[in-house]
Amino acid sequence: MGKEAYGRAILKEVQLRLERDVAAGAVYATLERLEEKGLISSRVGLGTEVRAGRPRRFYTIEPAGVRALNASRAAVERLWVGVRWPLKGTT
Amino acid sequence: MASEGYDMTHISPPRIAEALLRLTLPPHERDTVSGDLLEEYRECVYPERGRVRANLWYVGQILGFLHWDTRLSAALLGAATIARTALDWRVPTVDFHTRASVSTAIAAGLLCSAGFSASWRSQSPWTGAFAGVVSSATAAGVSVAGTIVLFIRYRDPVTLAAIQRSGGLPEALTLPVLLILPGLCLAGVGGIAGWLVRGFVRARSSRS
Repeated sequence: MGKEAYGRAILKEVQLRLERDVAAGAVYATLERLEEKGLISSRVGLGTEVRAGRPRRFYTIEPAGVRALNASRAAVERLWVGVRWPLKGTT
Repeated sequence: MASEGYDMTHISPPRIAEALLRLTLPPHERDTVSGDLLEEYRECVYPERGRVRANLWYVGQILGFLHWDTRLSAALLGAATIARTALDWRVPTVDFHTRASVSTAIAAGLLCSAGFSASWRSQSPWTGAFAGVVSSATAAGVSVAGTIVLFIRYRDPVTLAAIQRSGGLPEALTLPVLLILPGLCLAGVGGIAGWLVRGFVRARSSRS
């Protein structure tokens, strides 16, 4: 998404990747919490005519956010170590 | 994009819905989030679904914002109501006064705190009342579903007699719905308190 990561675009990307509807409130609340924790930052960009001139808020990941993502991914990978994929059922 | 080639800028969601959305958001997010929703409404939802369904989608988004803010208090309130019903049915008592006092205090506390936190976040005194309606309506749904499950699970003569003594099944099903109006008032009071305290805290931090 790069520099085009504003609220609506992020919401649509999340829905596309999860292949289901996601509540807008959930995404905006998460972005707000991540920003409060210093993991992401935001800047307000210009509005467009279709938005009645209302600005877009663009989000950028911060170094602390990159570290948190790396740690999170590493934790998930540690959990999967030794597990053969794909899993086989008992039946 | 469905709207390509058409001027969608004259199409807008209901003004009252937009005003409600702005009330539920913190000041720094009012323009950006309402702009995102307006963009989605004009570019995707309206061209694909038409005015009525697009307006319903917009109202649903607002309720989603309120529901997200109040989901914990709604879940706790619903659980508390089901617990009270289960207690009355499975551990009957002659004196309902103490139980009623405790459950009323718990419900009032949860609704006031839902209003307080919603108004604290949005910095608007009115958000608390809306949060109260959404909280108590969600809790009523949870409670009615839980009561029906309890009734299906426990239908022995002793429990049926206890249900009658505690006011009957219709009361257990309708009371949570009737609490929506008091929920609005209690959360409204909590909301005003949240707005006042947030204003006081901001004033103190800006002075120091």
